[in-house]
Amino acid sequence: MTTAPEAAPVEKGTEDASGTGRRQLLGVGLQEYTLVGVVVVLFVVGAILKPDSFPTADNVRNMLTQASVVGVLAIGMTFVIATAGIDLSVGSMLAAAGMAGGVLVDPEGSTLVFILGAVVFATILGTVNATAIAYGRVVPFIATLAMFSIGRGVALLLNDKLPVSLLDLNGGSFGDPAPFSLLWFGTGRIFGIPVSVYVFLGITIIGWLLLNRTRYGRYVVAVGGNREAAKIAGVPVRRTIFSVYVLSGLLAGVAAVLLCSRLASASPVSGNLYELDAIGAVVIGGTSLAGGRATIVGTFLGVLTFALIFSLMTQLNLSTEVQQVTKGGIVLGAVLLQRPEARL
Amino acid sequence: MSDSPAAVLEVRGLVKQFPGVRALDGVDLDVRPGEVHCLLGPNGAGKSTLIKCVSGAVEPTEGEILLGGEPLPTGDPAASLGLGVATIYQELDLVEDLTVAQSVFLAHEPRRGPFLDLQKMSRDTAALLARLGHEGISPRSRVSRLRPAAQQVVSIARALSHDVRVLIMDEPSAILDEGEIETLFGVVRRLTADGVGVIYITHRLDEIRRIGDRVTVLADGRTAGTGLPASTPTDRLVELMVGRIVERLYPERPRGAGEVVLEVRGLRRLPEVRGVSLEVRAGEVVGLGGLVGSGRTELLRLIYGMETPDEGEVWVGGEKLPPNRPDKAIAAGLGLAPEDRKSQGLLLDWSQTKNVSLADLGRFQRGLLNVRAERVAAREHLRSLRTVPDDAERIVRELSGGNQQKVVLARWLLRSCRVLLLDEPTRGVDVATKAELYRVITDLARDGLAVLVVSSELEELVGICSRVLVMREGELVFEVDGAQASERELLRHAVAPTDSADFVEEVR
Repeated sequence: MTTAPEAAPVEKGTEDASGTGRRQLLGVGLQEYTLVGVVVVLFVVGAILKPDSFPTADNVRNMLTQASVVGVLAIGMTFVIATAGIDLSVGSMLAAAGMAGGVLVDPEGSTLVFILGAVVFATILGTVNATAIAYGRVVPFIATLAMFSIGRGVALLLNDKLPVSLLDLNGGSFGDPAPFSLLWFGTGRIFGIPVSVYVFLGITIIGWLLLNRTRYGRYVVAVGGNREAAKIAGVPVRRTIFSVYVLSGLLAGVAAVLLCSRLASASPVSGNLYELDAIGAVVIGGTSLAGGRATIVGTFLGVLTFALIFSLMTQLNLSTEVQQVTKGGIVLGAVLLQRPEARL
Repeated sequence: MSDSPAAVLEVRGLVKQFPGVRALDGVDLDVRPGEVHCLLGPNGAGKSTLIKCVSGAVEPTEGEILLGGEPLPTGDPAASLGLGVATIYQELDLVEDLTVAQSVFLAHEPRRGPFLDLQKMSRDTAALLARLGHEGISPRSRVSRLRPAAQQVVSIARALSHDVRVLIMDEPSAILDEGEIETLFGVVRRLTADGVGVIYITHRLDEIRRIGDRVTVLADGRTAGTGLPASTPTDRLVELMVGRIVERLYPERPRGAGEVVLEVRGLRRLPEVRGVSLEVRAGEVVGLGGLVGSGRTELLRLIYGMETPDEGEVWVGGEKLPPNRPDKAIAAGLGLAPEDRKSQGLLLDWSQTKNVSLADLGRFQRGLLNVRAERVAAREHLRSLRTVPDDAERIVRELSGGNQQKVVLARWLLRSCRVLLLDEPTRGVDVATKAELYRVITDLARDGLAVLVVSSELEELVGICSRVLVMREGELVFEVDGAQASERELLRHAVAPTDSADFVEEVR
């Protein structure tokens, strides 16, 4: 390798120009570029098959709005999987969080109370996961599988299996939600773009910075890559593992707010199988299930890929059963594709 | 190169072209029956490729391999093994949960009809072990319960369970301590007495004189010298390997006389460490010798806070360390280069930069990490150690062992640590790089660091240390000034006082 780039600090990112396979700047590698291609191809295919309904502003808005819920979960899941862990409980935590916020707030009460209630409750559930895994030494798969059941049970118990209407929080109507009413988060727009998409984008950017530009992010990936080496280098291993499950819970609460605001209600059966969508998006994005390699950009593109595929399938009138089989198949395929890299 | 007609294995003009790399570029070698032919060369010289060609794991591009005068089919491991070429790899490749007999006959179990002939398996295993002089190992014990040396013997027995004419041993001594190496040599001598030709790969030059008959030196895929007598002077061998004259293997030893920086008081964690007290001063390199299993590694890990001691205290610069807190130990100024760089020291898929900065990220974080400052600082320390390649963004997995070790050292230099704990710092590193690491270690001490080095190579402890301590069965049993230390004396204290006669007992 040459030493020349060091002498030219003028241009941003010159250091990335030396040698092969540089991917330091954005944490962007080959897989991410491939995914950009996949997203484009899917969009073009959709536009060809359904020229009238697929490439429309409405459909794109719809896709993105729906994707933002799973997208927020997937950002949290990226941190969990980076530590070589897994969180199977995000869908259940999401439902429980929505119900907890809905039960807490008066029918015409404050949006803020609902949001706080939902996010705090989900964070508490995440903390239970975190404690069991980091300090109780329970395997993540089992701890979060238990929470998968607990969260769903709690969601059903909170209002006797019934949903809670959130239509009137801070006023407004579906067509014209008042700013900062709950409906506004789900259906409002700024410059024509849904508010929930801003939330998803904002969380993606914060997630990227956290993972790639903070000590904490390094610790997360180090713990997943080699726990013993991380410990010897002084990384607080347990605290780091603890934190990612709390973060995953917190983001499940945020996702609950987005979902409930779109549906104007909290439902105890919402968020079913969202964990699979989130894990699928993360894995397709290129984050290693074995830990040690994580990419937020990849996760973001993975979420878009999933959203496009399922929007297209819906428009082609394929049943949800078929979509479910496809979803599972894609996740399995993505994991199989990861294997040769893991062997290197 | 005398064309001995009696050669059991002849390699002529062997070439192996990998995509982009010519790993072997014309290698000649002849092995006579009953000789130990040492194969020497820096990492990457082509030793592994050569033995893989001979054992059939890799198909050579050009050249011929003759076994007993007949061409050996290439690229066919089963055929090579069937014709009597067996290989014992550096990493023990036994399945730990199997018994000794099951391991020896793995994949070619004797049968009676459709069933395994367990009696014959057991009997034949016992016979093979007896042939190697290790009747003490029971065919029924589990491999996981044997010491490394005994596992090595089982590996050799497995090779002998085929009718072996050429045995290739890839750094068999790397995981053994001095006492165990003597056992290994005993086994090798029995084999050669039976007429087996042995190819013995090693990085330890002293072993050539102790066990070898002739030497072949590889450098850059070529034979730099072949069939040399084992008595060839060390300097000459090193010169052939590196293609130039290395001034001195061991630099001048540092004479540390600073203040006490590391103080260990009565540290105990049964059964490995049974009450150890020691002091290390700024500017000195203290060696910690002893057999594998004497508690040296465990002691370092206790000092560093990787384990909780039953009893005892660790003080660094007048400050007492809390138990089981490596992060606090680092904050107090300790740094550890662990025994196994790959599994304990490094994140292999990370760049050199990220590996170096991991222990000191706080200094680059002002809100967000300043990755440019991080890269510059890491590069400075990597350069000061002359890490190759000089590319701080290169993934650590692609580096040689010696350079990986430098990455670990650079981490602690960046962190400005005061006490370095080094566990087998030169294991698996070629001679030229060893010399470099010795210079780095002694220079660090001269700059005022306190260094505690664990090593199984007594020669290097004698070579670089200001003081040498010897550990035996969890206790310090001997201390000597480095300039007065001798390998023989250290070894005598490292093995049990009843001498090494009870070695076979221990194996059991």
